[in-house]
Amino acid sequence: MELFIQTLIDGLLIGGLIIVVGIGFSLCFGVMHIVDFAVGEWVMLGAYTSYLMVRYFGHDPMIYLPILFLIFAGLGWLIYPLIYRAVSGKRHNPVIMGLVFTFGLSIMAKGGALSVWGYHIQSITTWLSGKSLSLGGLVTLPALRFAGFIFGIGVTLLFMIFLYKTKFGVIIRATAQDRETASLLGTDVKKIGGLVYSLYAGLTGMSGVLIGALFSIHAAMGAKYCTLAFFVVVLAGMGYVPGVIIAAFVLGLLQSLVGVYIGGRYNLVALFIVMYGVLLITPKGLLRRGI
Amino acid sequence: MVTHLLETKNIKKSFGGVTAINNLSLTVEKGTIFGIIGPNGSGKTTLFNLITGMYPLDSGTIFFNGKNITGLRPHQIAKLGIGRTFQVPALFSKMTVLENVMVSTFIRSSSLKESQKMAWDILELVGLKEKANQQVNNITMEDRKRLELARALGTKPSLLLLDEVMAGLNPVEMKAAIELIRSLKTEELTIIIVEHIMDVILSLCDRIAVLDYGQKIAEDIPERITNNPEVIKAYLGERYRARN
Amino acid sequence: MEFQRETYSSNHKTSFFNLGILIFMIALLLFLPLFISPLWIRITTEVLMWAGLAQSWNIIGGYTGYLCFGHGAFFGIGAYLTGLLMVHLNWPFGFCLFISGILASFLAFFIGYPTLRLRGAYFAIATWAFGEMIRQIATILDITGGAFGMQLPAYLNLPFFYYIMLLVTGMTYLTTHLLLERARFGYRLLAIREHEEAAEMVGVDTTMTKIKAFALSAFFPGIFGGIYAYWVTYIHPDSVLKADITDFMVVMAFLGGIGSLWGPLLGAIVVQFIQRILWIVWGEGTFYLVIIGLSICAVVLFIPNGLIGLLEVRIHSPKESINFLMKKFKW
Repeated sequence: MELFIQTLIDGLLIGGLIIVVGIGFSLCFGVMHIVDFAVGEWVMLGAYTSYLMVRYFGHDPMIYLPILFLIFAGLGWLIYPLIYRAVSGKRHNPVIMGLVFTFGLSIMAKGGALSVWGYHIQSITTWLSGKSLSLGGLVTLPALRFAGFIFGIGVTLLFMIFLYKTKFGVIIRATAQDRETASLLGTDVKKIGGLVYSLYAGLTGMSGVLIGALFSIHAAMGAKYCTLAFFVVVLAGMGYVPGVIIAAFVLGLLQSLVGVYIGGRYNLVALFIVMYGVLLITPKGLLRRGI
Repeated sequence: MVTHLLETKNIKKSFGGVTAINNLSLTVEKGTIFGIIGPNGSGKTTLFNLITGMYPLDSGTIFFNGKNITGLRPHQIAKLGIGRTFQVPALFSKMTVLENVMVSTFIRSSSLKESQKMAWDILELVGLKEKANQQVNNITMEDRKRLELARALGTKPSLLLLDEVMAGLNPVEMKAAIELIRSLKTEELTIIIVEHIMDVILSLCDRIAVLDYGQKIAEDIPERITNNPEVIKAYLGERYRARN
Repeated sequence: MEFQRETYSSNHKTSFFNLGILIFMIALLLFLPLFISPLWIRITTEVLMWAGLAQSWNIIGGYTGYLCFGHGAFFGIGAYLTGLLMVHLNWPFGFCLFISGILASFLAFFIGYPTLRLRGAYFAIATWAFGEMIRQIATILDITGGAFGMQLPAYLNLPFFYYIMLLVTGMTYLTTHLLLERARFGYRLLAIREHEEAAEMVGVDTTMTKIKAFALSAFFPGIFGGIYAYWVTYIHPDSVLKADITDFMVVMAFLGGIGSLWGPLLGAIVVQFIQRILWIVWGEGTFYLVIIGLSICAVVLFIPNGLIGLLEVRIHSPKESINFLMKKFKW
C-alpha cells in the first residue's frame, strides 16, 4: 500500500513538471496550427544551456531559470518569422509544411548537439539534488522532484492567469478560436503567433533546466520529450490547453505505475498503446475538446 | 405507384447545440429542376452535405430512387448517381482542367483512355475544352465554377446538386450559367439548385422549397412562392434583388 | 478532336520518356561494377537502397499527402523478419525477402485502417508513435535478441548485394511509374492529396485507396530491410529501427521533390553526397545532420517542390519539360 501511494506521488510530481512542456506546445497548435516537431529539442537545448551556464558561471542551475526563459523566448521570436513563412506559402498544405519545417529544425538541433557534445551523457545538480522530505514516515518526497512539481504548477498558474485575465491572453484565445475574425477585428495575427511561439519556446527551454537536473542530459534526449509532449497533447485534445493539466498527470501516473508494477522497459510501450488508443477512439482528446 | 427520385423523411441534424436541419421532409421528382432558397444559415448547404453522405444524420431517412441511402459513404452515393458542386470550387490543384474531370469519370469508365474521352466531352459541354490542358491554378473564377460543374457531371449523375453556383459571377456570366443549367435538364438528369438570388431560382425551377432555421416553411411552384406570407416573413422584408 | 490527340499523345510521350530514362539508368548500373572500385560499389549500393526507400515513402507521403513519420519501422521489421525466417526456419533468402515485404504490407494494411482516418498532424504523430513503439518492442522481445540484436551468418559477397539492391530499387521505381504516374490509382492518390472531400464526392473510395497506397509503400522497405540485414550481418534495434531511418526517407523525398517520380532518387544522391563530403572534410561525424536539417528548412521555405521543381518540371508529370525540350530542339 505504501508503495502504491509512493508510486502515485512520484507520478503526480513528474506530471506537474511535464505540464510545462505540454501547455506551450498545445497553445502553439491551437493558435497557429503548427505542430512543432522540435519540441523535444527545445527541452534538450534548455538542458544543455543550463549545463553550460553552470560550467562557466557556477551557481545553482535553478538560478538561471528566468534567464533561460528569456534566451529561448528570444530565440523563438527570431525563428518564428521563418515558421510563419513556411506555413503561409500558398502552394502546399500549411500544416504539413509547418510540420516538415520544424522537423528540419529538430534535425538541425539534434545534429548540432551531437556534433558538439557527441553521445556523452551530462548531468547537472542543484542544491536540492539528493535531498528528500519525509511525510509522516510513510512516503518520501524527493526534494528536486517536488521542486519540479512546484515549478510546473507555478508556471501553469501564471500561464493561465496570462491567458484568461490579461488583454493579450484574450486576444490569443480569440485568435485560437477564429483566426479570420480575429484578424478582421484588427489583431495582427502574425505578431500574436510570434508572441505565442516565443512563449512556448521560452517555457519549453526553461523546463529543460529541471528536466536536465532530474534526468540525464544527452543530445538524443529530444525524442523522449517529443513523445511526452505528443502524448500529453493528444490526450488533452490538440489546442485545448486546460486539458493539458489533466493529461500531464495521467502521463505521470501511467509512467510511474508501469515503471513500478510492470517494469521500466515497458514504459514507452504502455505510453504508445494508450496514445494510439486515444487517437483512434477519441481523436479530439479524452475530453473531446480538441481541434 | 410513382417513386420519387429523391425523398428525405423527417431528417434531423444538429451540431453541438445548434439544430441545422429540423425534421425536414422533401420530395423531388425525376426530370425537374428543384430550387431551395432560404436566408443564410437556414441549412441549405447542410442539406446537401447530408444527402451526399458527408455528414451522418441524427435521425430520419433519405431515399434515392427507392433505395435507402442513409448512412452510405459519399463515394457510394456518387456511384449510385448523385453528384454535387461545392459553393467554393473544391478543385484538385496540381492537375489540369481535363484531369480534374477525368478523376470523376473513373467510376463510369474502365480505362484511362476512356476517362480522357469522357472528360473531354464534358468539357466541351460546359465550354471549357479550350482550357483542357491548363493548370487549375491559372483559370478564372467563372471557369472554376464551370469546372466544378464539369466535375460533378463526370460521375454521370441522375441527380445533380448545385450549391450557389452563381456566387461571385457578374450579370453576364450569370446569364450564361443559367443557360448552361437549363440545357442540362433532361429526362435523365434532375437538378436541385440552392441559390440566394431570387430571379435565378424563379426563372429556372419547376418547384421551390423555402428553408428557414433548418425547416421547410413553404414548398410550391415559383409563381406562388413569392406571394407566400411565410416566405416574405422569413426574409424579414429584405428583398433579394437580382443583379440585373 | 485535334486538341485531344495532342493531350493524349503528349502523355504517351512523357510515359515513354520516363520509362526510357529508367531503362537507360538500369542498363548503365548493370555494367557499372565492372568499371569502379569496391568502395564505389558499396557506396552505390547504399545510394540505391536509399533511393528505393525514399521512393517508397514518397508513395504515401508525396503522392497521397499523408506524412508518415514512422516508416522506418517497416524497414526494421523487414530486417528482423528476414533474419528470423532464415535463422530459425532456414528458408531461402529470396523467399524470405518476399515474405518480409508481404508481411510488412499486411502490417501497414492493418495499422493503416484506423490510422489513415486521422488527418495531417495527427497522422504524423500517430505514425511517429508507431515507429518508436516498434523499436521498443524489438528491444523487449527475447526472440529478436532484445537490445543486443541478432547476429546473422555472413552470407554473400558484395556484387550480389549490389545487384539485388539494383533489382529491388528498379522494381520500386517501375512500380511507382506504372501505378502512380500513368494509372488511375495515381490520379486517385493525387485527388486525395489535393482535396480529399471532393475526391470522395466524385466517387473515389478514399479509405481503401489510402490503405492500398500505405500497404504498397511498406512492401519495398520490408524487402530492403531484409537485404540490409544480411548485408551488415548484425542488426539491433538502434541500427534498423532508429528514427534516423525515417528521417532520411523523409528528407530525401522532400529535398528531391515529393510527389515526383525522380525526386527521391535525386534526393538520395544529394543527401548521400553531402554526408560523404562532410565525412571527408570533417571526419566521421554528425555535422552533416545540421546541413541536412538546414536543407529541409530551405526546401520548405524556398522550393517546396524540391530540387526537381527547380528543373521546371511539373509535380505530376514532366509533360511541360517535354514540350520545353521539343521547342528547344524544334522537333
